Amino acid sequence: MYLELEHLDKRFGEKRVVRDLSLELAQGELLCILGASGCGKTTTLNMIGGFLTPDGGRILLDGQDITPIPPEQRPVTTVFQSYGLFPHMTVLENVTYGLKFRRLTGQQIRERGMSYLELVGLADRAQSRIQALSGGQQQRVALARSLAVEPKLCLLDEPFSNLDAALRTKMRHELKRLQRELGITMVFVTHDQEEALILADRIAVMEEGALAQLNTPEELYRRPATPSVARFLGVDELEWRQDGTVWKAIRTRGPI
Amino acid sequence: MSKNNPVGKGASGDALFPAVRRLADRLILLLLLGGICLFILYPMLCILWRSLQGEGGLTGDMYGVVWEQYGRSLRNSVFTATCTSLLCTLFSTATALLISTGRGWRRALGMGLLLITMVSPPFVSALAYIQLYGRRGWITYRLLGLSWNPYNCWGVIWMQSLSFVPVNALFLIGMLSRMDRDSLMSARDLGAAPRDILRDVVLPLLRPGILVCVLLSFVRSIADFGTPVTIGGRFTTIASDIYLQLTGYSNLEKASAMNMFLLVPSVAAFFLYRWLMGKTGPVSGERAQQQRLQLSLSRCGAAGWLALVTGGLFFGMIGLQYVCIVATGFIQRTRGALSFTTQYLEELLEYNSETMVRSVIYALIVALVGTLFAMLFSYYIYRRRVRWNTFFDCLATLPYMLPGTCFGIGYILAFNHPPLKLTGTAIIVLANMLFKQLPTTTKICAATLSQIPEAQERAVRDLGGDQLNVMRDVIFPGLRPAFLSCFAYNFSSSMTTAGAVLFLIDPGHQLAVFKLFDAVYSGEYALASLMATFIIVIVLLVEGGVYLAMGRKERSHVS
Ligand SMILES: Nc1ncnc2c1ncn2[C@@H]1O[C@H](COP(=O)(O)OP(=O)(O)O)[C@@H](O)[C@H]1O
Ligand SMILES: [Mg+2]
Repeated sequence: MYLELEHLDKRFGEKRVVRDLSLELAQGELLCILGASGCGKTTTLNMIGGFLTPDGGRILLDGQDITPIPPEQRPVTTVFQSYGLFPHMTVLENVTYGLKFRRLTGQQIRERGMSYLELVGLADRAQSRIQALSGGQQQRVALARSLAVEPKLCLLDEPFSNLDAALRTKMRHELKRLQRELGITMVFVTHDQEEALILADRIAVMEEGALAQLNTPEELYRRPATPSVARFLGVDELEWRQDGTVWKAIRTRGPI
Repeated sequence: MSKNNPVGKGASGDALFPAVRRLADRLILLLLLGGICLFILYPMLCILWRSLQGEGGLTGDMYGVVWEQYGRSLRNSVFTATCTSLLCTLFSTATALLISTGRGWRRALGMGLLLITMVSPPFVSALAYIQLYGRRGWITYRLLGLSWNPYNCWGVIWMQSLSFVPVNALFLIGMLSRMDRDSLMSARDLGAAPRDILRDVVLPLLRPGILVCVLLSFVRSIADFGTPVTIGGRFTTIASDIYLQLTGYSNLEKASAMNMFLLVPSVAAFFLYRWLMGKTGPVSGERAQQQRLQLSLSRCGAAGWLALVTGGLFFGMIGLQYVCIVATGFIQRTRGALSFTTQYLEELLEYNSETMVRSVIYALIVALVGTLFAMLFSYYIYRRRVRWNTFFDCLATLPYMLPGTCFGIGYILAFNHPPLKLTGTAIIVLANMLFKQLPTTTKICAATLSQIPEAQERAVRDLGGDQLNVMRDVIFPGLRPAFLSCFAYNFSSSMTTAGAVLFLIDPGHQLAVFKLFDAVYSGEYALASLMATFIIVIVLLVEGGVYLAMGRKERSHVS
């Protein structure tokens, strides 16, 4: 597999925040990590991005063990929840920031930056200040900035949570389109079931730091592995067979 | 504000005398605004008026005289202030970076040293300078065998730069701790090495704050007369000239005109400062993240090393300074041999205990009355928005812009003749401290006030309470954290600030800062050291107490 998390563990003091987490993801797929707030999603993402060192386990990307690689050298980029844009730079300067550290000429950097701005539909705002942009536009700049360095893996931490509902829906579809178009491998963290079901090729449901289930949206929805996963997905009641598997799920909301 | 008080809803005793209570409300307001006019506006007008007095009535002659006679001092002032502001900003930025990226005991030690420097009276660094680098200094004379004259402008610049660092550094540390962690993480994520992060993200984001430091240091240096008077030797600045003019009481017209010269750069700087502060993000309100800055300075290239070395130098010099201060107070030299002695301490306690007790009492009075004043004032101005509120708000900010000498001479001019003859009394000293500190305390209260939901206030009125009930039941309880901060600020400023108080104090009723200044000026270094140590210890104790009280409040809020 392209991305493999093997038995990841993370503690903060006494608290075990991520427990024996193992995941796999194929190239070009989009994985959603879905879970309630505080279940360890951001922590997991930060370990993949290199900002936290796992207490146990390792991370393989494209066959290479990247666990000891510092974030500035990992072929992985993150779109942060609050974007982390540089307020003292223009839109284009933001997008091209990561390219400064690659062996590229000024001309190449500019062209690459502009092409990614075009991709997110903001080419005309290249010289704007960050503060002059709306929330949705800032979101796009952050995305373009992360994609411009052409990482092997792109991580997104609840990137749409600061947007209003209508914009969020629009951005979801746009992200999905981009991801398909560029064939980029993504890990997307969210606590929103609907978002996960729309976006993901595969969904990993996390509960209290551990993996509860990993499957395609359809399978997950049809066959939640545990009552708590079912509850979290908005499935209220389950009827069980004699052998202990789910017989019937009674949903409060219709499937999408 | 609203005339149609809902009546009859609350049948408590409070509602019995609505007319009386309304009167009380007005009376408080009158007292506050009257105080502002009398103790801020009136003295300022007196200076302006006096500076325009000539032999034949109103004239601008005095300005010409001052310009001619003190042109050199003016140039000295500008030169010193420019050098000080640059050097001090370098120290402050390096120190802030060092502390923000440090951890464990080193960070704690750094913060501790900054705090001590912050609460030190202004002559401490001059005192240590003479002891360490003077004609018979420990380092220059005894260690290196140099014989040189330390009383010159470089000493002034160096000492000012060291003693202005804490306020600047704490301000920058606050900014660094509020800096968007995601920006720093993104930079790293995109491949930036620590060196790039420092250069591309941290320093640019810090730039408005760094400019604020340049500005504030400039203004403080211009207004500082203590350092040039004590270690300037024949090098004089306009502030030290004013001091000399005033202590001789020779020519108040001239001193007034000189002050007007000082006023111009100060006010200009203040407005620039306000403009810059708009760009540094919120100062208070949201809690600073306790997270430290994840950056290793030794891996940040030349700039990182510069910060490490300058910051280290600063802490080294400050540490040496305090070792020297304490040592001077307790070590005696007889025929070349050093020995520990409590002789100076005994002398201090014998002759100066009255002074020390008086200082503490004055500081406590200012802290209590000043804090109460600020709480009430900010309520009426920012919450009730009484008529002319912007005007009074500006007036209350005025002392912040004024150099201490300016404020002091205003008081001398305003209160040295009947019917308002206050010179020589305690009131003039207390009032001067209180109103000089009012701008800061008012801002602290206003910030806290803005976090009390207006709905609470409305609820009181809605349920039948009047304005006094609002104050007692909503505003004062809500301002409790501000009360503690203001109290600590008032107390430590009153104990340590020399400024105007030096001219106003009656020699028969001395204060510790005055005594300290006197002792440095006349060469009684052991006494000066002990006095300084005393001031620092007392202020630290009170600040520590307030800190604990604040902590307990917060803990009880959580549980
Ligand atoms: N630096 C930290 N120190 C201590 N505890 C932390 C730290 N970061 C996160 N936690 C704790 O770990 C748990 C998981 O956090 P997080 O990964 O941010 O959750 P999520 O992103 O799923 O909401 C939370 O209970 C949080 O309080
Ligand atoms: Mg999170």
